[in-house]
Amino acid sequence: MTESALSIPLAMKPRDLGFFRKVLRFFAELREAIVQAAISIASHKLRAALTITGISIGIMTVITIFMVESGMQASFARQLNSLGPNTLYVHKWKWGVGGNDWWKYKNRPVVTQLDWRALQKNATWPVAIAPSTNTTAVVGIPGQGDKDLKSVNVVGTTEAFLDAGSWQLKRGRFISDLDHELGTDACVIGADLEDAFFKNGDPLGQALKVGPMARCTVVGTLMRKGNAFGQSQDLRLVMPLSSFLRSFGSKRGLVIAVVAPAGKVMETEDEIISVLRNSRRLGPEQEDTFSVNRQDKILQGFNQMMMATNVVGILVGIITAIVAGIGIMNILLVSVKERTREIGIRRALGARRMTILMQFLCEAIMVAAVGGALGIALGAGGAALIDILSPMPAAIDPRVVVGGVVGSAVLGAIFGLWPALTAAFLHPIEALRYE
Amino acid sequence: MALIELEHIVKTYDLGLSKVPALRDIHLQIDRGEFVAIVGQSGSGKSTLMNIIGCLDVPTAGRYRLSGRDVSELSDDELADVRNLEIGFVFQSFQLMPRASALENVELPLIYRGVSKKERRARAQGALDLVGLADRMTHKPAELSGGQRQRVAIARALVTQPSLLLADEPTGNLDSKTGEEIVGLFHDLHGRKNTIVLVTHEPKLAARCPRAVRLVDGLVIADGPGVKVAMGNAEALGAEAVAQLLAAQAATVQR
Ligand SMILES: Nc1ncnc2c1ncn2[C@@H]1O[C@H](COP(=O)(O)OP(=O)(O)OP(=O)(O)O)[C@@H](O)[C@H]1O
Ligand SMILES: [Mg+2]
Repeated sequence: MTESALSIPLAMKPRDLGFFRKVLRFFAELREAIVQAAISIASHKLRAALTITGISIGIMTVITIFMVESGMQASFARQLNSLGPNTLYVHKWKWGVGGNDWWKYKNRPVVTQLDWRALQKNATWPVAIAPSTNTTAVVGIPGQGDKDLKSVNVVGTTEAFLDAGSWQLKRGRFISDLDHELGTDACVIGADLEDAFFKNGDPLGQALKVGPMARCTVVGTLMRKGNAFGQSQDLRLVMPLSSFLRSFGSKRGLVIAVVAPAGKVMETEDEIISVLRNSRRLGPEQEDTFSVNRQDKILQGFNQMMMATNVVGILVGIITAIVAGIGIMNILLVSVKERTREIGIRRALGARRMTILMQFLCEAIMVAAVGGALGIALGAGGAALIDILSPMPAAIDPRVVVGGVVGSAVLGAIFGLWPALTAAFLHPIEALRYE
Repeated sequence: MALIELEHIVKTYDLGLSKVPALRDIHLQIDRGEFVAIVGQSGSGKSTLMNIIGCLDVPTAGRYRLSGRDVSELSDDELADVRNLEIGFVFQSFQLMPRASALENVELPLIYRGVSKKERRARAQGALDLVGLADRMTHKPAELSGGQRQRVAIARALVTQPSLLLADEPTGNLDSKTGEEIVGLFHDLHGRKNTIVLVTHEPKLAARCPRAVRLVDGLVIADGPGVKVAMGNAEALGAEAVAQLLAAQAATVQR
């Protein structure tokens, strides 16, 4: 036996550690807490894996919801810019309302050419008035069935449409009023159609078949617009309204786009309402049988929808948090129970309550943060998958990532707190006697 | 100067249906630098008393002053610091951390006083070396014999160089030679002005202590020179044992 370890006179010992030592002690204890937490998790892999899986699935769900939401918001903002801020849309439906009034709007008469005529004749404010209606149809080159494009958005409208929307002509000309009057077979095609049918040639003057029966001749092409809501805006064919109604049914309702002069949107709206009420012979006690929509109405509706997803996201988040939290609490309670004697030993050797608390909080935070990080990785993967596979756009918001990790760590701390406190407040002797 | 002052200490365990009086009116004063053995039959309250002296448990009634400070007035954190900085405790049942190696067990108390990893290792190795376990440092308690575990527990109590060493049956699992060595170590520490309180069943060891206290049913019934108190059982021990005790005392005096 050597005596080296005891060579210092022992009886003279400091009573207090001093500030510097206390800082060192904190880091020594923190390190020990992290090591112990890791050991604890590693020695119960299955138990930890189950809880971590639970947390990560929850976080993933929430993250996916929020990512899809932020993706939709971004794409919607882009989309909305394509509707002019001064343009009003007269429609049977009120845009952006929920299902409550569905029957009321459903039973209204459709907006027809009579309404359009009335507006053209009597409204003084509008800069442009463009009726339009649309459908989807198969478009192809006559005699080359294999090149058919399905689900092409076919629009029937008049010359004024170019002023009301944000479409730009690339080549040739747009549909003219004369085309509408005469019901000609002129048509203007979007960039996707141009690419598909006339990659290497001049589209102007070429014939296309639209739907089962109609034929048209290309007179112009539109500039490319890109995607919105994950769908191409360029898979489109525009034809004269009269020709459209002849081919696809004359009972179809219209949307009349009315461009108001800048700053006179309200006046224009009032005028539209009075002109249409007159022409529809509505008595003073009767409600409007049409709606005048604006893009901000869509925004409202969109925001309502977003609020609904938000609420769903938050609810799912809360439920997830509770389920995950209970899982964490359970792990911790078992861990505290298993380590009761160990806690007693540590306390006997000079660990303070804070030290014990820290050790178990570390364990809770570690489990939660690993689950959270995994959940975010899965969620980001899920969002990317949704973006690729479905028309719904999804974007990875860095705030969501950071929030997810920090949030789950905080969750761990909150639900770990109670078990950690019970550990910290164990009576040293009782803990030592625990079998 | 009195290091430990126990006045009218009572400890009653409340088991709901019954109350177990483990200590009944203990009066005891131990000065700095004393080496005191506590003897008594199983269940006489020795461990209970040690837990109170070691600031691990609080008495049901009575006052305990450690270096003049009333322990009941110390906060929980202060008590933890006292346990860490001033007291080394060898538990009757070792109380080693099952998942940690011998070395990690001995390092543990040093963590709670902010000793660096390197120094912790060196000091723990020194302490294990001291108790003759230099070749068992990486073993877990389950991989050690009873006596080896006991020595790890002793090393852990010594590693912090406590001014007050409390050892509850530290030689219970040791063969007489190793036991002698350990007690020799305690005598060394005592020689360096440290205070030692030792619970033991072995009259031989008690007899070697300058002072011994005998507990019966939670009461101090004898307090005096180790040889005398240990010989309280002389009739039961037989002549041969008494002769041994006297020889042991002679050895102590020679030191
Ligand atoms: N936690 C407890 N709850 C109830 N009774 C207890 C508790 N601890 C000790 N006792 C009782 O207190 C009395 C004294 O116990 P203690 O452990 O102090 O004896 P001891 O002198 O150390 O005995 P031994 O020599 O066997 O270790 C015993 O009768 C015991 O049953
Ligand atoms: Mg005992």
